[in-house]
Amino acid sequence: MSLPPALRASVTPPELELIACQQLIEIIPLIRMEKTAFIAGAYGPLRPPHRASIPIWMALNLKQKKKCHIVAPEWLSVEFLEAKIKQETTQAEFTKLPFRFAEISRVLLDGASDDLQNPDKLRTLLQDLREARQAKARAGLESLEHSILGLSNLSAMEINEIRPFFIQAMAVLRQLHVPETR
Amino acid sequence: MEEDYFSIDAILAENQKVGCRFKVDIPDMGHLGGGGERNITRSNTLQLPIWMVYTVVLSDWADMIMPPAFGSKVRNALNAEPCSVRLANLVGAGGLWYGFGKTIMEMLDDKKEMSDLLTTTFRKRLVEVIDQAQYFAALGPAGGVGPSSDSSQSFREGLDGTERELFALAQEGSKRMKRWYEEGEKARR
Repeated sequence: MSLPPALRASVTPPELELIACQQLIEIIPLIRMEKTAFIAGAYGPLRPPHRASIPIWMALNLKQKKKCHIVAPEWLSVEFLEAKIKQETTQAEFTKLPFRFAEISRVLLDGASDDLQNPDKLRTLLQDLREARQAKARAGLESLEHSILGLSNLSAMEINEIRPFFIQAMAVLRQLHVPETR
Repeated sequence: MEEDYFSIDAILAENQKVGCRFKVDIPDMGHLGGGGERNITRSNTLQLPIWMVYTVVLSDWADMIMPPAFGSKVRNALNAEPCSVRLANLVGAGGLWYGFGKTIMEMLDDKKEMSDLLTTTFRKRLVEVIDQAQYFAALGPAGGVGPSSDSSQSFREGLDGTERELFALAQEGSKRMKRWYEEGEKARR
């Protein structure tokens, strides 16, 4: 295959971001719009000041044009993330977070930071959380086996990051493994 | 590493010679040893290419001598500290220590012990491989000179071909992640 080795096993972070932006998010529109059909489905109607659910990419687009306020998801708050970091550093297993939290938090922090409370603090907390989880993934590497790998509560971005070398390493272990009975 | 007939890695890994001690006299085959002798006599030791060793050992004409790359000296060193052994130096050009080990393993009666040796070594070194790959990814294109110690330098030089591949994969993955996170930071400024 002509693809570079790193792209054969996994998708790129920008692709994951694109996928994550299909998810719905609540907004408070500042303009009126009738129910409109898109390829992905019909969204709307937008009637200020009532909340509406639309895909993230559309919300960001409207936000850019100052036509809506984005309602931050409840997990994107200082209290919630602080609690998660505490859990993350005290428990052995990964804590449960939204599957695409890395992508969504980044696009929201980039495109709509004025709709979030204390965005700088959020950034630091997300960074801490990410580092704590990376340390755990590294510890898991030591117990890598040839056949199974449990990845409960790992998010899309994290799985994608470790996928290329984890599967390669497991393939090597599988080659070196001798079945007990023949 | 694979058993695929067309796998280049497998062919390279088998590009090794293994010592064999003959149990029988074989007339007119002395040229295999490269010497001037006409016959192979009993208890002679010759270095044979792996593809020939299969047949010679299976036909019970000779015993395979464990290659020094997996001998007791290397085993002891691996038991003591897997990361300080230079695997690449043990097997010559290309340095596919695991691939060679697997080939040898297939010829042994007691596969378990060899498999354990290879697996344990691989697993213990893997963490260091990934750590260093991520460290180098984090340096970025500008920073080439980091506080890299002699031991980590020597570890990188001693990487086996298989580990080298993993190193490249991990480094590439970390770089992409870093780029993605930094893109966001740039957009903000």
